[in-house]
Amino acid sequence: MSSVTTDCSKSKSFLIDTTKCTGCRGCQVACKQWNQLKGEKTEFFSGEGYQNPPSMSEYTFTRVKFKDYQKHGQNEFAFYKEMCMHCNDPACASVCPVGAFKKTAEGPVVYNADRCIGCRFCMVACPFGIPKYQWSKAFPLVKKCTGCYSRVKSGLEPACATACPTAITYGTRGELLKEAEKRIANRPDRYYKTIYGKEEAGGTSVLYLTHQPLDELGFKPVTSRSLPSYTWQALRFVPGIFLTVGGGLSLVSWFNHRKERVKREEEQRKASAETHNGTE
Amino acid sequence: MTAAKIIMNEIKGYHRFLKFMMFLVALGALASAVRFVFGLGGTTNLNDTYPWGLWISFDVVTAVPLAAGAFTLGAIVHCFHIKKLEPLVRPAIVTGFLGYSLVGIGLLLDLGQPQRGWHTLVYWNVHSPMFEVSMCVMAYTTVLFLEFLSPVCERLGYHLPLRVLRWLEMPLVIAAAAISTLHQSSLGTFFLIAVDKLHALWYNPLLPLQFWLSAIFTGLSIIIIEATMVHRYMDQPNESELLEILTKILPWVLGVYLVVKGLSLAFLTHGPIFDRPGLLALFALEIGAGVIAPVVIFMKRKNREDDRMQLRGACLVIFGLVLNRFNVSMFGMIQPDQKIYFPSVIESLVTIGIIAAHVLFFVLIAKYFPIFEHHPETVDYTIPDGFRRTDGHEGHGKVSEA
Ligand code: SF4
Ligand code: SF4
Ligand code: SF4
Repeated sequence: MSSVTTDCSKSKSFLIDTTKCTGCRGCQVACKQWNQLKGEKTEFFSGEGYQNPPSMSEYTFTRVKFKDYQKHGQNEFAFYKEMCMHCNDPACASVCPVGAFKKTAEGPVVYNADRCIGCRFCMVACPFGIPKYQWSKAFPLVKKCTGCYSRVKSGLEPACATACPTAITYGTRGELLKEAEKRIANRPDRYYKTIYGKEEAGGTSVLYLTHQPLDELGFKPVTSRSLPSYTWQALRFVPGIFLTVGGGLSLVSWFNHRKERVKREEEQRKASAETHNGTE
Repeated sequence: MTAAKIIMNEIKGYHRFLKFMMFLVALGALASAVRFVFGLGGTTNLNDTYPWGLWISFDVVTAVPLAAGAFTLGAIVHCFHIKKLEPLVRPAIVTGFLGYSLVGIGLLLDLGQPQRGWHTLVYWNVHSPMFEVSMCVMAYTTVLFLEFLSPVCERLGYHLPLRVLRWLEMPLVIAAAAISTLHQSSLGTFFLIAVDKLHALWYNPLLPLQFWLSAIFTGLSIIIIEATMVHRYMDQPNESELLEILTKILPWVLGVYLVVKGLSLAFLTHGPIFDRPGLLALFALEIGAGVIAPVVIFMKRKNREDDRMQLRGACLVIFGLVLNRFNVSMFGMIQPDQKIYFPSVIESLVTIGIIAAHVLFFVLIAKYFPIFEHHPETVDYTIPDGFRRTDGHEGHGKVSEA
């Protein structure tokens, strides 16, 4: 949560190899089941591709995006699983006024619903647009992928990773990065050269391998600096500015008041001298 | 007559305009009740794409600089010792106090869990600009409340508290300026987290400094508008001679702001600036009408002395400020493929109600408390008479029976 990104190579991460994803959406179903989330009414062709539901929401923490493209004159599909990136230095945690979000040592970024005041700053801050709001409620809270923290703590893998037959590997971030680099080196024709999540937002605990360039697949281009460092570079001056302005103004007013007093005394002296002269 | 009847009779005597304001406030209160019954999603046009709408953009991000008159003027009058401006201080404090109280109400309406507002006091997160702003707003509202107590005590003739307040005056003024500097600028820090969302026309690391500078010139302009309105519609003396001093300061602050903005646009932005014609037009309007035009107006001495031109220049500044805050918190955040957000009826009614409440309470306070007749030199605070009420004492408790 500070401006210095903590070492996350030991914390748990996801490696999602989109070239191996078959679009079965087992992860989507497993996530709904584990988190007891309501089904959503959807319709075909409601979003930019064939995916359903059209976007993530308070009821949908993860979803598989469909993207059609042309390869050697043939229509092909690419799929990618969208979820919370569990950033190493999460923007959502840094902006929350009550510290409701926390990056755990295990890896997942978790949300404490009992603290949240519902200001929605986390939604504005998250570079991946992950936190969603319970718009249907009078007193709404925030909802997002939990990284299956309760499962991870008790030694299990997240529900989606367990359900996935092909594409998701769960492990420590350091190992997964090595694995991803190995795959790229072994099959350079199969993989695009960049690991999404290695640098994005200062590094995330979800890493993607793709075949096509990232922007073609709809991955958001995100700064490689950790986001909280952008606000911290201004906020760290707060105590200094408070003291400077307070002290500076105190000095200025002391000086001006003194000047005034000296002037007044001078005038009084003159006046009394005059009356003195007058009486003589 | 019962108390209720007296109050009803009193209200019957009010001007049409005040009654209309009361109606708008009531409508706003009703709309906020509807928001709590039917939820945020049902009553506002907010959604996961637009988590923040009119209430944050206007009721918080814009209303805070609009209430900046009190701290700016306080510092000018008491720290830089331009005592001539003293008569303007009290109305500015009342405006500030009302403004901040209403910011608090607006914020509570926008929160999903307003009953947990106190959590900010308990669960600190010093890395959050919003934590910082909410702490400052609470502290500053307290300061303004203490400053506002002066006319109240004068009206009621309480001596001892008055003397304490007089003794506290300087520390309060300095605290007000320091706290305001922090939260006015931190409102800009809010948007530093939106690295890849806010357009490069507005996103740069100096945004907090720009927010602070613009709060200062907005505070000065609001005082000009307020004093002119009070002169026109509330039978108060014409203060345009005093306002002229403010119009002399204004072009300097606006000029510094313009330079900071120009430099940061030239050297500190990342990403293309000219790629979105709509945003570019908004930016040009904000700078052209809201900064350059008033500088040109206030450079001429003739305009500075003319109360009509004073008002026009100040209104341009306010227009530019409002547009700037909306550009930063709303328009500049819209991505090219996003649907456009428009506030719902409920959202609009609440915001209109908040503005009406401000006007209404200002007029009512001015009616019942001595905020225009501030002559500290005529008030004698030397008599130690405890906490007892002292009626009919000369020199204070002068009330305008307007
Ligand atoms: S992706 Fe968004 S919600 Fe998830 S940890 Fe990062 S900033 Fe927080
Ligand atoms: S909505 Fe809740 S979790 Fe999000 S920033 Fe506000 S208080 Fe924190
Ligand atoms: S980690 Fe758990 S909560 Fe997150 S997407 Fe997978 S199953 Fe859903």
